[in-house]
Amino acid sequence: MHPEKQKHTFEPKIIAFVCTWCTYAGADLAGTSRMQYPSNVRVLKFPCTGRIDPVFILKAFQQGADGVLVSGCHPGDCHYIAGNFHARRRFAVFRKLLEFVGVDLNRLQFSWVSAAEGGKWVEVVTDLTEKVRSMGPMTEFKELALEEQWSGTIDTPELQEAYNAI
Amino acid sequence: MSRIGVFICHCGENISRTVDVERVAQEIGRLPGVSFSTDYKYMCSDPGQNLLKNAIKEQKLTHVVVAACSPRMHEKTFRKAVEAAGLNPFLCEMANIREHCSWVHENREEATVKAIDIVGMMVERVKKNRVLPTITVPVTKRSLVIGGGIAGIQAALDIADCGHEVILVEREPSIGGHMAQLSETFPTLDCSQCIMTPKMVDVANHPKIKLYTYSEIERVEGYIGNFQVTIKKKARSVDEDKCTGCGVCITKCPQKKIPNKFDCNIGLRSAIYVPFPQAVPNTPVIDRDNCTKFKTGKCGVCQKVCGPGAVDFEQQDTLIVEAVGAIVVATGFDLYTIDEKPKGSPIKGYGEFGHGKIPDVIDGMTFERLASASGPTGGKILRPSDGKEPKQIVFIQCIGSRAREKGISYCSKVCCMYTAKHTMLYHHKVHDGQAYVFFMDARTPGKSYDEFWRRSIEEEEAVYIRGMVSRLYQKGDKVVVMGSDIAVGVQVEIEADMVVLATAIQPQKGADSLAQKLGISYDKYNFYSEAHAKLRPVECATAGIYLAGACQGPKDIPETVSQASAAAAKVMTLFSKDQLEREPIVARVREFGCVGCFACKKVCAYGAVEEKEIRDRQGNLVKTVAFVNPGVCAGCGTCQATCPSKCVELDGYTDEQVIAMIEAL
Amino acid sequence: MTSLIDTTIYSAITEAIRVEAARILSEGEVTAVVGYAAARRKGSAQPIVINTAADAGQLIFTPSCVNNLAVYLTKAKKEISKTGKIGIVVKGCDLKALVGLMGESQLKREDMYLIGVPCIGVLASTVQPATGLTAETIAPKCTECDAHLPQGCDFVPAQTPVVTKLEHKYAAEIARLEALTPAERWAYWKEQFTKCIKCYACRQVCPFCFCEQCLCDRNKPQMVDTTPRPAGNAAWHIVRAMHLAGRCAGCAECERVCPMDIPLNLLNRKMAMELKELYDYEAGFDVLDKGPLTMFTDKDDQSFIK
Repeated sequence: MHPEKQKHTFEPKIIAFVCTWCTYAGADLAGTSRMQYPSNVRVLKFPCTGRIDPVFILKAFQQGADGVLVSGCHPGDCHYIAGNFHARRRFAVFRKLLEFVGVDLNRLQFSWVSAAEGGKWVEVVTDLTEKVRSMGPMTEFKELALEEQWSGTIDTPELQEAYNAI
Repeated sequence: MSRIGVFICHCGENISRTVDVERVAQEIGRLPGVSFSTDYKYMCSDPGQNLLKNAIKEQKLTHVVVAACSPRMHEKTFRKAVEAAGLNPFLCEMANIREHCSWVHENREEATVKAIDIVGMMVERVKKNRVLPTITVPVTKRSLVIGGGIAGIQAALDIADCGHEVILVEREPSIGGHMAQLSETFPTLDCSQCIMTPKMVDVANHPKIKLYTYSEIERVEGYIGNFQVTIKKKARSVDEDKCTGCGVCITKCPQKKIPNKFDCNIGLRSAIYVPFPQAVPNTPVIDRDNCTKFKTGKCGVCQKVCGPGAVDFEQQDTLIVEAVGAIVVATGFDLYTIDEKPKGSPIKGYGEFGHGKIPDVIDGMTFERLASASGPTGGKILRPSDGKEPKQIVFIQCIGSRAREKGISYCSKVCCMYTAKHTMLYHHKVHDGQAYVFFMDARTPGKSYDEFWRRSIEEEEAVYIRGMVSRLYQKGDKVVVMGSDIAVGVQVEIEADMVVLATAIQPQKGADSLAQKLGISYDKYNFYSEAHAKLRPVECATAGIYLAGACQGPKDIPETVSQASAAAAKVMTLFSKDQLEREPIVARVREFGCVGCFACKKVCAYGAVEEKEIRDRQGNLVKTVAFVNPGVCAGCGTCQATCPSKCVELDGYTDEQVIAMIEAL
Repeated sequence: MTSLIDTTIYSAITEAIRVEAARILSEGEVTAVVGYAAARRKGSAQPIVINTAADAGQLIFTPSCVNNLAVYLTKAKKEISKTGKIGIVVKGCDLKALVGLMGESQLKREDMYLIGVPCIGVLASTVQPATGLTAETIAPKCTECDAHLPQGCDFVPAQTPVVTKLEHKYAAEIARLEALTPAERWAYWKEQFTKCIKCYACRQVCPFCFCEQCLCDRNKPQMVDTTPRPAGNAAWHIVRAMHLAGRCAGCAECERVCPMDIPLNLLNRKMAMELKELYDYEAGFDVLDKGPLTMFTDKDDQSFIK
């Protein structure tokens, strides 16, 4: 009945930022329905996706998250009228910024999961976990954190001269 | 240093089957700040709660984490228990290790590791929790009802019957609204005046209702429980206290040829007038634009004949300020303007149907006045052009409604039913006449509605033609209606004596500017928006403001009355306590750092953010900062995520708490 | 070496600015004028605040007038704006900042007398002040300028800027970076960000960084690493770009003042391009009630949301 679970060498760390009214309730429903999904995800509850600050996503990556999920109510379902609409714009822009500085957007997932979509929650979490697992660890921010100073090369004559003078 | 107590629940075996709860309790017990960590079979049971309460007292706990089911399930239970033990309830957090862990993972090791993470995260979070006192907002137990149609009347009566004072404001000289104009009502065909006027009189006589007719809302300030409303009482030119309503002034007024708006301009009235005989209040008003005295300075007959000396040409508009705790908006509807094209509006009008040019093309409301026993024709269906009885009459449905190309895509909901009613009224009054109806679909959901519609065809001999009318034109004293019958696939041409257009329902003119005064939202047609289409259909997003009737969307009378009573019930719920108590999960501004860019105000869907001036002791303005009204804030936190310097913080979900959780992972 | 861009109208503009500044000061219309004056090095210019008509002769406009003076009305010199209505010399790009600041309740139109400058371009920060203006020496932002003639000012000298069409330097660089793989882009920005010494000159000079308490200085909680180490630097620049998205109109002062030559305006331009594409929004043209990130429509793109 319970097939032997495949052992993985890499277990990604997934942080999920969710709103309490829709996605958190959807995740609860997945629980009460005894659905199964990878245990990698850690859920942080917010009143609304409107409360979720892009800085949290950055912080999550810096704290070693390999994947980040942001999920809230479907458009029009927001418990607070329009929080998810504001979030939608905010994250549409923020993900473009992260993409531009070189973050692979496959590690950052946005979704609408309603309180009735326990199945969708399972699907979203499973997909993201497996996708990130196949990508391997998110090393960029971790490596950055280990570096103490500018790793750049002295590539201009002025700098070279200044360096030699020291 | 915090002394955190952590309680891991087995939930029978629901959690302990997959999560090694003892190991979780042990590992969490080692975290800094945790001074007590234990596991128990059923935390939510009485012994479980007692364990929690005793531990708080004996271990002098400062914060509590209960790791059990979803907070959506038992957060209230445990916060109550914590409060009973003398701690602020907001110093208790729940870690969800059932729905989010034991029930969704089978591997015991993985589930246990995850449970430790979840509980550890909540331990870090709870360290940053602050004592949050319950917010109380005083409530002024008086309410304002805007609009004196059936919606406003019903809401006002319901609230007043519960013993709360009501201020009812009506723009026109009399209450009654559109319902007072109707002849009969579907689906029972009872006379509108007969059921409406007693309610109007009830309003006038009710000791708890203060009626302001011929008045408009000038300004609204404040918030739920504490609104200050400025009402502009327009000069009536008649002293309401002195007037006895004898009506001598009206009979003596020499200027009698003014089209009466109440009769859709087919009847005439005098310059000093009451819109209709059963008007409430029965105090006349002088139409200053058409009064000879106001135009030329001569006349003044009404003043001379008035026994009590109530006519006052010098009367001025006055502003009255009323304090109320709740507002019911019931401003109703207006009809689609068939021929005019209002400026700046996407509405295109129906110039091609000749309304306004061909006198015998009228709208549905005009037909109501023709059919009404108290109307200008005394209830006889006579056509406006020559006063003859029309023998062939054509009704055209969906004028404006469901016509995207004309600017309105919605269904006006009542037209199918009132057209069916019109065919019946016509058949009752003109026995040898024939009614034709052009329609797209017949939409008749509602109790006894479809039966009513069928009756108009089966018993009252109306001929329904499915199809649209392409053109109308005058031919001699007839109006030729050219259309298609798509059911048969032929062109139809009817030489009618009169044509009645079932025009769409639109919000009242000026609905948008009233909404701006109230701070409520409206859709692109200016219908007011409810807070939630399904679950909060009577409330506005702005707390303390409720909607009733067609101002929120097209509605028939039963629906309007239901919504009005529902709005009244909401007002009474608010008034049932002296103080409005609410969860302290609201945003607060750190005024010290706020630079007043008001991004928070821009994103707040509730209008909870206000501008606040900070002045020094000499009264000089230092700066203007944001202020969140705790009575209005709903606690979504969108302001905080938007504030660039995070000078507005949502209690209960502060950055400190969130960052602590992220850092714990 | 390409040919010189003709900036001869600048001397007539200088004259017009002097006359207007003298007039509004002597007539008491304003209490001070913020403009540019010659600095010590040959050909260089620096901001100046004058209070009397007699000083109006010091005002100049040359290709070295690079500063965005908007910052002098808000945070840099808060005390000047308290004295009364202020005159300010603005290029088209600077005016965009003022427009944004008005939209964010930081300035009021009635408190300012705007002297608009018909501008052909100014010098890049990397060249010597006395250099002639050419396609190479012009500031990159000027290659993409769409506001050579400021609109809605109280006074604009009559000269018409004749503009040479130049290659859009930022657009070209953004296109180059976009063509790279995420890893290559990360490497590029890592290199750039790690150079940062966290001097916060970019923050000081930015007209939109008007917060009294910067999120990146907070320590309770510490949202962003404050140390000048690579991780903190990257976080700072990402947060900065995000906070400026939809507000920055591209005066490029951040990039000009950066002692480490980090191409900061690239991030801002990229954000502006995205906002234009997503919401058809361009900053700095109209004083708006709401910016693109403080409003929404129900039809906003959500193709990225599952």
